[in-house]
Amino acid sequence: MKLTLTNHNFSTLLNSSFINLTRPFCSLSLSSSLSSSTSIKPQVPIFLRPPIYSTKLNDLKKWHNWAKNIAFSIGSSFVQSDNGPDSTILCRELKWFIEDVVENHHSLFSQVGDDNEKVKMRADIEELYCLWKQRIEERKPFQYIVGCEHWKDLVLSVQEGVLIPRPETELIVDLVSDVVSKNEGLKRGVWADLGTGSGALAIGIGRVLGDGGKVIGSDLSPVAVAVAGYNVQRYSLQDKIELREGSWLEPLKDMEGKLAGLVSNPPYIPSKEIPVLQAEVGKHEPRVALDGGIDGMDALLHLCDGADLMLKPGGFFAFETNGEKQCRELVDYMKSNKSASLCNLEIFADFAGIQRFVIGFHR
Amino acid sequence: MSYYFLRRRSLRITTTTFSSFLSKLVGNLSDSPSPTLFSCRHLSHALPFFSSTWLSRDAYSHGLLSPTQARFWASQPAAAEHSTSDGLTIQGILAKNWPILDENDSDWKSHASAIAQSIHLIKRRLQWKKLKVRLDMLSAQLNKEDLWDDPVRAGKINREHGSLLGKMKEVNGLERELLDDIEMIKLAREENDSELELESMKALLNMRVNAKEKELEALLADEQDSRSCYIEVQAGAGGTESMDWASMIMQMYKSWAQRRGYKVTVMEEMPGEIAGIKRATIKVDGEFAFGYAKAEIGVHRLVRISPFDSNKRRHTSFAAVAVIPNLGDESSSVQINESDLRIERFRASGAGGQHVNTTESAVKITHIPTGVTATCQNERSQHQNKASAMAVLQSRLNQIEMARQAQLNAQHTQSLTDITWGSQIRSYVLHPYRMVKDLRTNYEVSDPDSVLEGDLDGFIMSYLSASLDKNEDDA
Repeated sequence: MKLTLTNHNFSTLLNSSFINLTRPFCSLSLSSSLSSSTSIKPQVPIFLRPPIYSTKLNDLKKWHNWAKNIAFSIGSSFVQSDNGPDSTILCRELKWFIEDVVENHHSLFSQVGDDNEKVKMRADIEELYCLWKQRIEERKPFQYIVGCEHWKDLVLSVQEGVLIPRPETELIVDLVSDVVSKNEGLKRGVWADLGTGSGALAIGIGRVLGDGGKVIGSDLSPVAVAVAGYNVQRYSLQDKIELREGSWLEPLKDMEGKLAGLVSNPPYIPSKEIPVLQAEVGKHEPRVALDGGIDGMDALLHLCDGADLMLKPGGFFAFETNGEKQCRELVDYMKSNKSASLCNLEIFADFAGIQRFVIGFHR
Repeated sequence: MSYYFLRRRSLRITTTTFSSFLSKLVGNLSDSPSPTLFSCRHLSHALPFFSSTWLSRDAYSHGLLSPTQARFWASQPAAAEHSTSDGLTIQGILAKNWPILDENDSDWKSHASAIAQSIHLIKRRLQWKKLKVRLDMLSAQLNKEDLWDDPVRAGKINREHGSLLGKMKEVNGLERELLDDIEMIKLAREENDSELELESMKALLNMRVNAKEKELEALLADEQDSRSCYIEVQAGAGGTESMDWASMIMQMYKSWAQRRGYKVTVMEEMPGEIAGIKRATIKVDGEFAFGYAKAEIGVHRLVRISPFDSNKRRHTSFAAVAVIPNLGDESSSVQINESDLRIERFRASGAGGQHVNTTESAVKITHIPTGVTATCQNERSQHQNKASAMAVLQSRLNQIEMARQAQLNAQHTQSLTDITWGSQIRSYVLHPYRMVKDLRTNYEVSDPDSVLEGDLDGFIMSYLSASLDKNEDDA
């Protein structure tokens, strides 16, 4: 219901600001996204659930010790098998897990409290055993366990079926922030985040745009659209961000030549590498958000066409890639096929020093 | 609300209105002899036009007037030392050396003596004479016409002037309040008013507690003292044993900070291979965190039978502690150019991006011109880790700048060693005997466990008062 309202508000707002457009903005794709995404109810992250459970401090301590011992027993075995988490990382996750679950976690273990004292929690103690088992035995990503990922200064809801936003991707928001700080026109324009997943980039960019600036986030997956909608609402950006369900450029047909910016973190892992991925990724995250075809470039090449077609003159784009090789191939492709429309191409490294992003402008 | 507080509060309100009113009148007042009202001659001199019916004792007890206060209005500016109507001054109280009894003993002389002692200590700790000279100098500068030609400097002078004036007023207020209360008790006795005597005694006791607190606060009078801070611990040479010692020390500070009600956040931690930590940084948030923690700067030495030595030999190990004030986003902090920074993923491995799921997003920031680095790994997003690491880096650079400026300023060369890692300050012996001893103050306790559990205040207070006394001697 809420999503309906949201989109409606947005479309009226947009309609009024684009009153001179020949076609009503997004009315068609809007209705299609409504039907499927309202039927999916996104999960509420643990930290946002009400603290209706109560456990003896002693029982919580018991669980904590049990969980800690398991974390320690892992040692570096996951690191050796597939570069997974080691004990140190698991222990820190355990600490964050408690932060999310226990209402007054600050004073929890530090004080010499009465072991029979009741502790208010947002999940049942039995569920905690079950969830930590899933973390260790099934290698379920910690973010799916607690239902959220801290990304930039946001806390985004995530669940299975939606890609967990990566720290590297934060940089795209910084790049956009730089660009719009120097260009008022782009700051007030319409941006698109293709394959938005949890809505991370759309929300991050929505918050750096000025008055009148909008973001359209699209995703093929109805689960992603529902989760992104939930996140958009948590940050009260309903009036700034519109979500559309559909594959890549398809839900943006009405925006040809009108976008101020286009960003994406598309699937870019070469298909043959999917089976040997770290268990957290390969076994749990949606393949459709990871698998980029034989050389991982399928979606990226498609996005180049998108940038050519959708951006208005002076529009900006930023895409995340698998690394140096893809960056170079992408730039080469643009230079040889899109030099008439795309210019100022640049490759940007992430904080690990890996060439990760290709950015540029529409002529 | 108690009667006492009502009285105090209304007293302040009346002071301002009355004083302006009086200052106009005072000049015209005749010094006509009038019957001594309530053993307060000065007052009666100043206010001959008040009829005695109006100025009944109720006027005092309901906060309309206070005897000494009234006298000050009459004799503005109050240059002379405050005294009661019968000539009792703070110095006089001190000189009388009345025995200080327990707080529960209702003896006004004991309370008065204790309060006078506190006031004396506060003045000493504030370096009262120097403070007066400095205040005069600042006042003179504030009156200069070209002051605001340099707004930054003007702001600085203005702030310092305000802060010193505030301190001076506070102490003057304490002195006046003490004499007021004594006057009130004497008055109550003369009039055989047991209710008023009880109230005044309560007020005096209240003041005694308050002055004791102020006395401790006066230990922390430096500009940065009220700040939050970072505490860094680094293991000395000696492998696992000293890394274990470093983590014990860090634990000690965490417990100490929690006892004081400060918020503790681990900013970075480099664990040792087998046990303990190579180095770690915590952020301690709360008022006066830096003021107290700065007493811990230096090298801490441990002597014990090492649990990591299979031959059960006695080991000596060291850990260095640095404490940096958190200046926040102030204009006084060092400007950092974005282009001077190198930002790296702290523990990056493999292809990254979509290949990896990790909750480890620590970054390391290097300030290229100085080589100063900062890392934060406790936050849940890379962005937050970066922001926190930037805050640490900013504080470190500020610290270096402060040290540099102190070096330029000859009178501060002494404190230079305090700012850097410093020399050995404390010894913790667990074997063959048990003792913790501060090498600077010779303060010692025979229960190392309690100290390692965070009971540090004894060490901190003794160091702070000793270093103030030392400054006093130097002055």
